[in-house]
Amino acid sequence: MAIINQATKELQVKIVFYGPAMCGKTTNLEHIHGNVQTLQEHKGKLVSLATSSDRTLFFDFLPIQAMAIKGFRTKFQLYTVPGQVIYNTTRQLVLRGVDGIVFVADSQYDKMQENVESFANLEENLRSLKQNLAEIPLVLQYNKRDLPSAAPLEYMEFLLNNRDVQVPSFPACANKGEGVFETLNMITRMLLHRFINETSRKAA
Amino acid sequence: MYTLPQLIEEDLHTLDGAMRELVQKSESTAALLIDKGGFLITQQGSTDSFDGTTVAALGAGSFCANKEIANLIGEEGFASVYQQGDKQSLLVVNVDEHCLLCVIFKSQTGVGAVKYYASDAVKEIAAQLKRAGERSPGAGFDLSVLNIADTDEIFRSKTA
Repeated sequence: MAIINQATKELQVKIVFYGPAMCGKTTNLEHIHGNVQTLQEHKGKLVSLATSSDRTLFFDFLPIQAMAIKGFRTKFQLYTVPGQVIYNTTRQLVLRGVDGIVFVADSQYDKMQENVESFANLEENLRSLKQNLAEIPLVLQYNKRDLPSAAPLEYMEFLLNNRDVQVPSFPACANKGEGVFETLNMITRMLLHRFINETSRKAA
Repeated sequence: MYTLPQLIEEDLHTLDGAMRELVQKSESTAALLIDKGGFLITQQGSTDSFDGTTVAALGAGSFCANKEIANLIGEEGFASVYQQGDKQSLLVVNVDEHCLLCVIFKSQTGVGAVKYYASDAVKEIAAQLKRAGERSPGAGFDLSVLNIADTDEIFRSKTA
């Protein structure tokens, strides 16, 4: 649920990076945090609630501010979920109030089942929150394209983007920063368009 | 996509007033109104020494996680989380279905006093949020200020 503060001319939106364990969700946020071109005061700390072995336990959180809408200070709150299957309750908590989703898929052949299961888990968790994935801006990111065992993009599209309405998808190597900002800009763009269309519809 | 409540000047005036009164009466350091999704809505008191945005995200996560634990052990009436510190303590109280009130206070202040004053603030805040939610969603929203023509590259990489 985005927050619109008319008094302070501020809009806050929540984007969640979802996907199976070790697919590169945290790496995406780390790259954005380290490389985003912005004023220091517009970028918050990257908070990681991780285990001692650097696996996400609860979530990673990165707040960034941008002048995305004229006259409105827009605050983007980027979250990741823990990918490991056992942390499903935690994933449901992080999804609360989500405005846009980036699904990060691992391109390696042997990770396809985990990708598909994680996507199904996303749909199920949204349903438990009385939300429908078809109504939420979604971008797919096919990460780890640089690995020799990466499956062809067409195959990944067939597995993960095979619906009536296809969503934008990007190949990426998050550890090298490739595809990270393209993904982020697409989800913010979809989210803001969606937000404005909704507002226009409600105002009409 | 549910985007309400839209807060206007009147809402912020009431919310800030209730929180300012809570901070003064309970001699707390700061009070933050946060959405359960992790958004900071507004804050009052001495907020320079910490990052309110991050406190809001973690406070909401902490409250929701504890509520889940309470549900798992069969506890239904779950209204607040209290974190006792050496210097500063923290109380997160449920306001309504969507919001929480987070109070940061010196540890020598009794949590009972903070809870007492927070309960009055919670009622006032919940009533104002209800009014905001019931207001016409498009009211006062000037679409002419919305210009997203340049969203292609909202975020740029330093190395690009």
